[in-house]
Amino acid sequence: MKKILFTAVSLLILCSFTPDDEVVVPSGEKLVYAGSYNMSGLMTQLAQVTMSTEMVTTSKNSYLHLNCELSTFSKWDKFFKMRDIYESYVNPTTLKPSLYKRSIDEGGYTKKEKYAFKGNSVTSTAKRRNKPETVRTFNIGSSTQDAISLLYKVRTLDFSKMKSGQTKSFVIVFDEKEIPVTLKYLGTETVKAGNLGDKSCYKLSIGAKTDALKGKDKNLIWLTADAKKVPALMKFSIPVGTGQLTLTSATGI
Amino acid sequence: MRKIFLILSYISTALSIVFTALPFDTLAFIPIGLATICLVITFIKSDVNLRVWPKRLFIITYLCAAVVVVKTAFFKDEVAVDQQFEQQKIETKQEAKKDLEELEGLE
Repeated sequence: MKKILFTAVSLLILCSFTPDDEVVVPSGEKLVYAGSYNMSGLMTQLAQVTMSTEMVTTSKNSYLHLNCELSTFSKWDKFFKMRDIYESYVNPTTLKPSLYKRSIDEGGYTKKEKYAFKGNSVTSTAKRRNKPETVRTFNIGSSTQDAISLLYKVRTLDFSKMKSGQTKSFVIVFDEKEIPVTLKYLGTETVKAGNLGDKSCYKLSIGAKTDALKGKDKNLIWLTADAKKVPALMKFSIPVGTGQLTLTSATGI
Repeated sequence: MRKIFLILSYISTALSIVFTALPFDTLAFIPIGLATICLVITFIKSDVNLRVWPKRLFIITYLCAAVVVVKTAFFKDEVAVDQQFEQQKIETKQEAKKDLEELEGLE
């Protein structure tokens, strides 16, 4: 399930082309998705994924808190309960991350990670169940971000000038290391976007140098082709199967 | 041949019940469909006086299908209110604020 979430987050994240630093992600936005997994050819709804934003203030600065949480539907809790939180604290204007945290609880397997960004270095702290805490400091590229902040950054980018088949490379931090990823623009399609109705969307394919993703152009994301660029649908293919996240509700956009 | 399909009918009907009871949604239609096919074959291959159990299994399979349809159509998927998770979210936010202030102090 970690791979599913990674894939979903990556799909959302890895879609940046031309940065537009002037666009600001709104505080108070809430996107709710239904996560389904393909079991023997039939999509079965497993979990709800909620992505939300809010401002957080410390004594010196203000940060935009980007939060992504996953909870299995109550009917699954008795069999395989999942409660995951992925969150990033970023500069509200540039979306550059200062702190990235990940807390997963999947069927009893727990893991907590914390990444503190300081210039071109990251100090990661990871704690798995029944294992000692590990601390690592490693250098990153100037454009490397965490998964969640990149996810929001891509929504501030301009896809309208992209040509079908055009690709771009990116790097994200995940599982205590940098992961290179590529994104391919595949044109526009109309998809259902929950309470937003049928929307024309930018269709994007993602590939990453990781075992988590499988197949060519099988990991896809559709972003609404408007100023909001709301992720309306995501499809993923991983070694253990396929699934999708469908937007059910978008508020505060 | 009849015995083989009767055994398969029993197995697939049992799986239908299990899948219907578990939260597999429409996935339960796989064993239900399999049971239906096996039962039709068993029914055709059975003499009139040996059709009692296939009929009973038909009824069970039909009920399973009805339950799945009702569950899918009328029961909405919901996330339970998890107080422990809510508390965890509050705590992680407080910790993050502390971490951010520590990072600011290092700058």
